[in-house]
Amino acid sequence: MKLDDISLEGKCLRLSEVVEDVALPKTADAKYPGSHCAFRTVAGILPLIKNSYGLLLGPAICLYNAKLTVNIRSLTSDPRPNNLLFLTYSQEDIIFGFHKKVREAILEVDRRYHPEVLFLVTTCLQEIVGEDFDASIEEIQREVKAKMLVIHTDNFTCEDASPGIENVFLSLSELMEPQEAEEGSVNLLGFWTPKAKKTELVRLLGSEDIMIKNAIPSYCSPEDLSRAPGVSLNIALDHFALKLAKKMKEMFGTEYIYCERPYHPDSIELWYQKIANALGIDLDLKVADLKRETEELVTQAKGSLSGKSCVLFGQPGRTLDMAFLLSELGIELKAIMLHRLLSDDHTDAQKLLAEGIDPLVFRGDNALQTEKLLSTLRPDICVGCRDYRVLARQGIEPCMLIPSHFKLGFEATNEILRLMHREPAGFGALRYKERLLNSGAV
Amino acid sequence: MDLKLNSYPAPSDYFGVLWGLSGVDDLLVLEHGSTGTCSYNVVNYMIMNKQSPKGKLFSCGMDEDDVVMGREDKLKRAVEELDQTFHPKIIALVATGVTSVIGLDLDGVIEEIQPRTNAKLLSFASGGFAGDYTWGIKEVFRTLAMEVAEESKDRKPFSVNVIGPAIDSFNNVSDLAELRRLLKLLGAEVNTVFTCHTSVGGIESMASASLNLVTRDVGLEAAQILEDRFGIPYVYGLPFGIKGTVEWLEEVGERLDLYLEMGTLASELERYGFSILELTTPLQRCDHLRAVISCPYDYALGFAKLMRDEWGMNPPLVVLPTEPNDPKFEDELGRFGVSDVLIGPDTSILEEEVFRIDPHVIFGNSYDLHIAKEVPIKMHAAFPAFDRLYRFDGTPFVGFRGHAYLTQTFVNLLNQNPEVFRN
Repeated sequence: MKLDDISLEGKCLRLSEVVEDVALPKTADAKYPGSHCAFRTVAGILPLIKNSYGLLLGPAICLYNAKLTVNIRSLTSDPRPNNLLFLTYSQEDIIFGFHKKVREAILEVDRRYHPEVLFLVTTCLQEIVGEDFDASIEEIQREVKAKMLVIHTDNFTCEDASPGIENVFLSLSELMEPQEAEEGSVNLLGFWTPKAKKTELVRLLGSEDIMIKNAIPSYCSPEDLSRAPGVSLNIALDHFALKLAKKMKEMFGTEYIYCERPYHPDSIELWYQKIANALGIDLDLKVADLKRETEELVTQAKGSLSGKSCVLFGQPGRTLDMAFLLSELGIELKAIMLHRLLSDDHTDAQKLLAEGIDPLVFRGDNALQTEKLLSTLRPDICVGCRDYRVLARQGIEPCMLIPSHFKLGFEATNEILRLMHREPAGFGALRYKERLLNSGAV
Repeated sequence: MDLKLNSYPAPSDYFGVLWGLSGVDDLLVLEHGSTGTCSYNVVNYMIMNKQSPKGKLFSCGMDEDDVVMGREDKLKRAVEELDQTFHPKIIALVATGVTSVIGLDLDGVIEEIQPRTNAKLLSFASGGFAGDYTWGIKEVFRTLAMEVAEESKDRKPFSVNVIGPAIDSFNNVSDLAELRRLLKLLGAEVNTVFTCHTSVGGIESMASASLNLVTRDVGLEAAQILEDRFGIPYVYGLPFGIKGTVEWLEEVGERLDLYLEMGTLASELERYGFSILELTTPLQRCDHLRAVISCPYDYALGFAKLMRDEWGMNPPLVVLPTEPNDPKFEDELGRFGVSDVLIGPDTSILEEEVFRIDPHVIFGNSYDLHIAKEVPIKMHAAFPAFDRLYRFDGTPFVGFRGHAYLTQTFVNLLNQNPEVFRN
């Protein structure tokens, strides 16, 4: 398959041309791999809720891949508990109905595994067939001890996984109970890592006697979630969690602020100020110390990175603020891979444009078209691309930032700066091999 | 009710279709479904030797309007794009579950757009509801044998097709390398492997071979079609163990009028024919060891034969993922001392059987080995193998080298678990 045959005409826009909250032009009619579906993401989140099980209801197409994902994850540094159960949806179920089987499965799960919470996750098929699970679940609820929550993941109605993730977050509100708000306590919403309570943000707030009660959904138990409204503030760190924050405000009056994770030192400073103001605390001195350290690292990094060019793939939080950080390092930003520009990105986009930075913006959900773009632009560095072989073949340095996703604040940016100087183990050998292959060694 | 906490939901015919088509160059697969389905497939290719469907598999990216209105515009546009951009010889249109539910007629679409499409269009419409993955592989093999293989003017006298290996075949890299090597010893050559690292051209010219070698039962129907259409006979079976390999070479040689020279055979036996007796001591007896074999039928039969004939063990239990083609499969396995056969058992039944038999040895997939974690000697021998790579081509299970590799590995595992000699 030759990349030369792929045309990118009309598929690249400049940042200044992008219309807010409208999906970027599709890069192909025949897509691979395309966006993740909500079912896949939901199946990845549910193991984070302690004392719960997820009963995944769908065709083998979805279930087999979901099971393998859990197994592959079990071999990593961040394994997730094995709490997913599978009930396959057959053609007979489509014709004669699935309710009876689901009911038996629920009773079996309740009897055998005694979960406190049982998530029932549907796929596209049930949504198309139109079986009303919510109503039947209400009926069965009386017979089981587990609290049941239905998560709909109708992928064909949306272009990405967002609605499913939001549904999971929203469903957690059903486990919550009214509480008296405890002054000086907060929840972090939309941050998933077992080390959530060891982050810089938590340490800084702790130094001012602010207690982090929960990082939702990271390893919260149903009991933790039931008491989650007993805080003075919710900090929504991710747009997926915003609906939950709003719901908790509506149901329990819990105040919230929305502040997606920043990357540039100035943005992180403002981010901390926003949080401190909402909590009525003063973090200025501590933040100034941390900012100084990061700025020193930025200055050092400029020495080796300035003058290089890069393509940036979407990052958790404010991708365009990450672009601003890269530009601060003296890196020329050739393109940014995004699905759409959210309204939250507007300020960051304007900041980049005001500095005269107007990179290409490209929808990066098709591998071959992305590869073509990389081969056309030939950046020195690619931030966030996992196709190491493509990068090695094209002589592009990979920069994989996953370890920084588990951190917040200045420490996340410090980690990014560290990772930008560190080639993934084995990449040198891969590059050597690809170079030989390119030069006709074989 | 088995909710597969410690096991896995059986992959459906949809997967078999994708896997059966994966190894054919110049053929692109276009799914009719949402992109999420296509994207999720990265996972199952990853556990099969870290492979990727990139450049092979595409989705037309169906949306809500397509579902509600039953529209096929996106599918047609995607076909046109693939045809004009990549110029494949074949585009296979594959249904997903949603296709079946909304009732889209893929053959109808093909009838309409084939005249303006350069690539030959094939449809695979089962959508994941027809059966397990073997059903899908058989459907692919049947379709390719019927609709792509062509009559050949010339027949190469010492040329064979290998029918059966696909991306899902465990250890296929090494096993194929060994089969090629054995055939070369005999003086034969492989025309194409149906469907591993083959091409549309390779399949079109299958009829130029003089013999088909079927390595697993999912290939039998295709072999029969090729015999009916082109008169190519076939031999079915895998060469396991020394005796099994010599017999396989004799059978293949007889059909091709080729014979293995005694000097070559002697050299092979000197290098790879070491018996377990030569690798153990008199106080390391194996005949009391209980083994469970859990893998597809052709491998299971081979392992059972190897264990009985060459290691002196009688495996009491064989677990098969699906029912084999051969209606006498229980008798066949019984010939090698297998007393019980389970087909696709629930996890709890498998757990009970492992507890009852208390085996010393288990050959199986990643889930079997996890269920049998107390069993001292565990060896990956089947897919799914999410924690096992088999890309290196020097670990065959079949042929003379397979015998050597398995026997040596088995003895090493025995030495690491000497308690098995004491109880």
